[in-house]
Amino acid sequence: MQRPDWAPDTIDIERPSVARMYDYYLGGSHNFAADRAAAQAMVAAVPEAPLMAQANRAFLRRAVHHLAEAGIRQFLDIGSGIPTVGNVHEIAQQLDPRSRVVYVDVDPVAVAHSREILAGNEQATVVQEDLRHPEAILAHPDVRELLDLSQPVAVMVVAVLHFVSDDDRPAELLRTLRDALAPGSYLVLSQASDDGRSEDERAEAERVYQRTDNPLWVRSRAELTALFDGFELLDPGVVWVPQWRPDTPESAEDAERAVFMGGVGRLGD
Amino acid sequence: MTESPGATPHPGTFARAWAKAVSGTSYLPMTQAQLESLLDRLTAELASALLTEPFDLRAGHRVGAELVAAHIASAEGLGRTVEVIQLRLVRDLGLVAEEVEDRMARLLAAVATGYARALRDRTLDEQESIRRAAMRARTQAERALRASEARFRHQATHDPLTGLPNRTLFTERLTAALNEPGRGAQRVGVCFLDLDRFKVVNDTLGHQIGDLLLATVAERLRKAMGEHLVARLGGDEFVILVEQTAGTDDMVALAETALAAVRTPALVDGHELQISASIGIVERQVAGANPTDLMRAADSTLHWAKSAGGARWALYDAERNQRELARYALSAAIPAALERGEFYLDYQPLTSLRDGSLVGVEALVRWRHPELGVLRPDSFIGLAEETGLIVQLGGWVLAEACREAEAWSAGGAAAPFVSVNLAVRQVHRPGLVQEVRALLRQTGLPPERLQLEITESTMMSTAEEPVRALRVLADLGVRIAIDDFGTGYSNLAYLRDLPVTELKVAGEFVAGLRSSSVGRTDERILASLVSLAHALDLTVTAEGVETAGQAERLRAIGCDAAQGWHFGRPAPADRIMARIR
Repeated sequence: MQRPDWAPDTIDIERPSVARMYDYYLGGSHNFAADRAAAQAMVAAVPEAPLMAQANRAFLRRAVHHLAEAGIRQFLDIGSGIPTVGNVHEIAQQLDPRSRVVYVDVDPVAVAHSREILAGNEQATVVQEDLRHPEAILAHPDVRELLDLSQPVAVMVVAVLHFVSDDDRPAELLRTLRDALAPGSYLVLSQASDDGRSEDERAEAERVYQRTDNPLWVRSRAELTALFDGFELLDPGVVWVPQWRPDTPESAEDAERAVFMGGVGRLGD
Repeated sequence: MTESPGATPHPGTFARAWAKAVSGTSYLPMTQAQLESLLDRLTAELASALLTEPFDLRAGHRVGAELVAAHIASAEGLGRTVEVIQLRLVRDLGLVAEEVEDRMARLLAAVATGYARALRDRTLDEQESIRRAAMRARTQAERALRASEARFRHQATHDPLTGLPNRTLFTERLTAALNEPGRGAQRVGVCFLDLDRFKVVNDTLGHQIGDLLLATVAERLRKAMGEHLVARLGGDEFVILVEQTAGTDDMVALAETALAAVRTPALVDGHELQISASIGIVERQVAGANPTDLMRAADSTLHWAKSAGGARWALYDAERNQRELARYALSAAIPAALERGEFYLDYQPLTSLRDGSLVGVEALVRWRHPELGVLRPDSFIGLAEETGLIVQLGGWVLAEACREAEAWSAGGAAAPFVSVNLAVRQVHRPGLVQEVRALLRQTGLPPERLQLEITESTMMSTAEEPVRALRVLADLGVRIAIDDFGTGYSNLAYLRDLPVTELKVAGEFVAGLRSSSVGRTDERILASLVSLAHALDLTVTAEGVETAGQAERLRAIGCDAAQGWHFGRPAPADRIMARIR
């Protein structure tokens, strides 16, 4: 009997998961031996890895905080990973408990964990879907139930797009999401970048990433800026994530060591 | 972050240094200002613990636990905290106390202990929670897998068009029913159902309507058959499995119900369709039955119902099946029998009614079967015609007749012609003319001494090719006779187009000459036929003449020649020839 392609995967915790590796970089213990081994190998190759993750998480915090203050009450966080500390709903609901958040992740363990964290929170939920299937995300009944797409929504595509290859046409994925959004919605985007590096450095970095299970698709500032097509970039545009509206001037020092670039765009009226 | 009342609004130098030291040790979900404010409060606690008498370890524990709770929760976070407190707390805050070094050591120990305890608990909690998540995800994945396997199994065992079980599932269930232990004495049955002329629906209304009709029929059968398994084997073939029957009556009743369900007119996409079905029923004891034989029997039985006109059921009959198998075996043996020379020819005289002379003989094939003895043509010609072997066999008869007939002229006297029956398939074959020509050349038989007998049905088709072939043969001088004239459609039109030389009138008209009342009608028909034939320049030979009385009346009518027991039974060529010498 040959298995049809709609048969689900089994759960194998012996395989490293990028969501749990990320948790490890953030200092969490929501990870297994295989995740730690892979994360440590990554740190050996790229010592900044934990710094990258933390800087990115801080960017997420500042971006959500800013949008919540700007009046956004609906968040769609795609590639949300393991809900460790400083989750979108914690930040947003601290400002307004009525803020609604839908997390989306492809990793079934991350989804199961999110479900446990969110138990009892009527304003937040999680669905298992893939960023590469934006139509499925938008059509998901739980997304439809919690989010009112006729009202502004902040779509978070934070630290996930570098797992999407150019073959999967990231610009088209984002366009599909954008076309479903109401004016006044936002796109928060960040991902690993090789901006400003020489060809040699870039080749070196790519070799390092290819050794991991999930090769990263690094993109330049210009490429990332182009992904905001249709959105109006908020100041300071697409920058190294520590430079995006830092809490203190010092925290933006050595920003390029964070490897991640990001920005926030607003969908015009 | 909540700020405790009385905390300094601006963090002191120490708290800022502390905040800087722990930054980056793990992800801290707060702004730098919030961090500094938190650490400022903890600094106050530490300072007070250092100065308060008696020294209270719990203050240190509390500070350690609060750090972890605020996510300053890593080995590096502790290390740097210990370092910065040890190096700067007393100095930055300008604290003055007795035995301050001793108290500092105990305070740091308490902070480290509280911190390690909290971190251990947090780590264990997180491990537990991620494991629980993994387990739940796995359970869900397995459930989804089982559901998908069930779905896949359903797809593999059901027909997508009608939703009925398919051949795979049916075969499984039948095999299981036959192999179930302890069921040997019980009885099992199947109804093999096929729609009559379903192809016409597809051909005239299209496959879409055909498919809808199949789905309708399937649904009706499923409802009508109750708990019995109804499967679609493919096309318009359905089968009903009765795992336990009390006898054939049960099965017949079920078949009647199924036929009635199909017979009800169906409204399909605006078309009212009336369709019927045929059913082959097999019912037998479980012991000794196997699925293959059972389904083969059901298939044969279905064909009986079909060939009887359809819209009915037929019940399996072992004897009939045996006879058909024997017939099939016989036809299959014809090619080998030809090779082994098991066929031979007898000849029956065609006698002139005018002078009693032998005008011709009809070649009749015989099969000297090694087990069954000598077989007459009626036991194997029909089969040979069905299977197409008649072409090979007929070819042999024609060749053999030509070969033998040629020898008869050696006697010197006017030799009789030899009349050979041609089957429909032989006449419709493209190579007939060449075949006859080659035979005449090879044997040296004059064409006028060969007569080919064809039946009326041979000429029923509108194909021109056979007519042309016969005309070419007639032009060669070969005689063409219509066999069994008067029993078919007796369409006189072809007599106009065909190069016919003779009509052979069927024996049943001659048989009528015996009794007086019917005989008079037959006699009038015969007389008319003869005068019609003569008007068209055809000769007439009467078949099946058995008595001198019949011969006398035929002669009176003007019939040219006769054939039958009265004039001589079929016999080997030498016996016939001996009679004329």
